[in-house]
Order: sequence, then structure tokens, then C-alpha cells
Amino acid sequence: MYEAVHAHPDGESTVARFAKTAADYGYEGVVVRNHSSARASYDADRIGEEYGIDVVSGVEIRAENPQQASGAVGNFRTDETIVAVEGGTTALNRFAVENDKVDVLAGPMAREGDVNHVVAKAAIDNGVRLEFDLGSVLRDHGGRRVRAIQDLGKLEEIVDYYDAPYVVSATPRSHLELRAPRELVALGETIGLSASFVEAGLEEWGMLAERNRCVQSDSFIEPGVERGRYEENR
Amino acid sequence: MKHLPKHLRPRWRYLAVELETWGDGSIDRRSFQRECWYAGQNLLGDPGSARADLSVVRFAFDDGTGEAIVRVRHGETDRARAAIACIDEIDGASVGIWVRGISGTIRAAEENYLGRRGQVTEERNVVFGNEERVAVVRDGSADVRLEEAFAGATDLDYDLA
Repeated sequence: MYEAVHAHPDGESTVARFAKTAADYGYEGVVVRNHSSARASYDADRIGEEYGIDVVSGVEIRAENPQQASGAVGNFRTDETIVAVEGGTTALNRFAVENDKVDVLAGPMAREGDVNHVVAKAAIDNGVRLEFDLGSVLRDHGGRRVRAIQDLGKLEEIVDYYDAPYVVSATPRSHLELRAPRELVALGETIGLSASFVEAGLEEWGMLAERNRCVQSDSFIEPGVERGRYEENR
Repeated sequence: MKHLPKHLRPRWRYLAVELETWGDGSIDRRSFQRECWYAGQNLLGDPGSARADLSVVRFAFDDGTGEAIVRVRHGETDRARAAIACIDEIDGASVGIWVRGISGTIRAAEENYLGRRGQVTEERNVVFGNEERVAVVRDGSADVRLEEAFAGATDLDYDLA
């Protein structure tokens, strides 16, 4: 299972600290999804080796409008393994799910964002994962938390009906905000997401990373076609 | 009052919980207990938190890390785990919280899951992000003191000054 984190300077803990804590908690990997304006510098291989955990590079694009987001997606797609777009308005949500270069629509229900059948179908067509953000349930209180739980319930109904792809994350900004997978599963169950649903959502980050690494590797030509071992000597 | 016959006594499970906060901050037992009950009430409601119990039976905290054992009614462990995961701040200090394991007796919980503490905590001058800072270092992790907050780091992130 993987967790997608905001590392220093976007969050408060460095990638290494996240990796160390996540490895203790039983995660198999962390996805670094810093916002495009606060990139982290780190040595993924060294950290991975030191703490025995997979470190996946990524970005979460925060944009005012689809035009701006579109440019950023183009810039980051070649270098980053996972490209997420922060949703939160109808326009941005539509942009993200209609763009097959985007992997994840982060926080689709945040702020004025909303998800309906059109968004869900577009997400299926373009393979864009809708994110279930448990962060607000873990860290907010009162009315905001009630609304967050309602939104997650609505999203779950839509995702479940159309069988749309999704990921689950607690969006931690420091190693203290990280929670172990079993805690997230238990929390999901109390708010109406089944254990297998949350587990699959946490696994999805890993599968996404594996697929994108394969697609971005030099030996990949197109789906089903890879450079074989006999080509090298030509 | 005469205690209950054995088959009527409540059956408990004990959650071994590990706590962490920034730097060398401290948390006391009373506020941890209060937050446990609040978290239970907020997530599970009054009936749910009454069923779960969530009393703190062992607690130790110093130098930024701590351990606790929380008593939970048998069969309520998942809900209790979820409630405990929702503890985000204690007395205004953000905390990391992790259920290490669940046992049927306090002793088993302590022996199997706790007792990693006792690592040496020390203050060191480090160079982090091209600036000299003071860090609280423990077991390969370091909380670097910035102007107003901390940054969580590890040995890989800084050089010794």
C-alpha cells in the first residue's frame, strides 16, 4: 500500500522522514505529490535503499483555470511518474478527467468541486483516478467534517455505480499526520467505505506508479510492444 | 461491592499506542485521555463511545515520544482504532499516533508491542537547507527547529555543523 504525501517545502517533513515513518507503519511506498510551486529535492534511490521503501516522484498541479493547468500537465508529464491535478472547481474537475495525461484528480469534492455521472464517465474513459481524501475526516471537526464525510459518501456511490478508478489518501503534510494503513481502513469502515475499498484505493497508487514507470522506461514502444534484447547490438 | 462472576465481567482488548510530537514537546496523561474521549464521541457518537470505553490505562511520555495502552471493549477494536486515528492535536500540539497492536491483556500488549522507547534524545547543531539550525535528534530522525515551526527530517537531510 502507498500513501501520497506533501513533503517539505510544501509540507513540514522531508521526503526521507516521510519514507522512514511510512516504512515503520507498514506502507510499501510513498508518492511525493508536492504542489507545482513547492518542489522537493531528494534522492529517491538513496532514501528507498536506506528505509526499504519505494519512493515515487510526482506532482500535484495547482492552477487557477484549465488553461494554466494544461500547460503545467505538459511540462511535468515527461519527468514525473505521477501527475495529479488539484480539483476544487467544476472547470478544473472537468479538465482533469478529460485529459488522459492526468493520472489523478486530487480532492475532487474540495471547495466548490463536485462530481457527477459525466465526470465519472470521463474519468473512466481517460483512466483518471478520483481521489478519496480522508485528510479532512482525520483532521477537521464539527460541520466541516460532517460535510467531508457526506462528500466522500456521495463520491463512493458514484464511483461504485460506474466502477470508476479511484485512489485513497490521507494527504499528510507532516510525518505526524501520517496514519497507518490499518487505521485508514478502520476509519473508512466507520464512515461507510468498506475495508476492501480503502485497501484497493491505497494499492492503486502503487499500481499507477508501476504502470507509468513501465510506460516511461526506454524499452517501451507502445502497449504490448517493447524493445527486445536482440535489438541492442544493431 | 462484590465483584462480578467471571462470565459477566466485561471482556477487554488493550490497544498499544505509540505517540509522537514535534521536538521534545510533552503531553500529559490527562489531556491524552480527554482527547481519546473527544475523538470517540466525535466519530462514534455518545452511544458508540460508551460502548468502546477508550480509557487510558497506561501512559508514559517524555522527550517527544510516548506510549499508552487504551482499554477497549471486545468487538469495538476497529471503531476504537478509527477514533484514535482521528486524534490530531493534543493541547494544541500536533501528534502522530500509531496503534502498534492489540492484545487481550495489558501485560501482553506491553511485552509484544511497546518498550521501544529509551532511545537517546539529544540536541545538535545541524546545517539544514543551507542554514545552521538546532535539531532534536533521536534514532536517526531529527526535528529541525525553524523560526516558528519544526521541520521533520532524518540523517539523510542534514550535515552536522
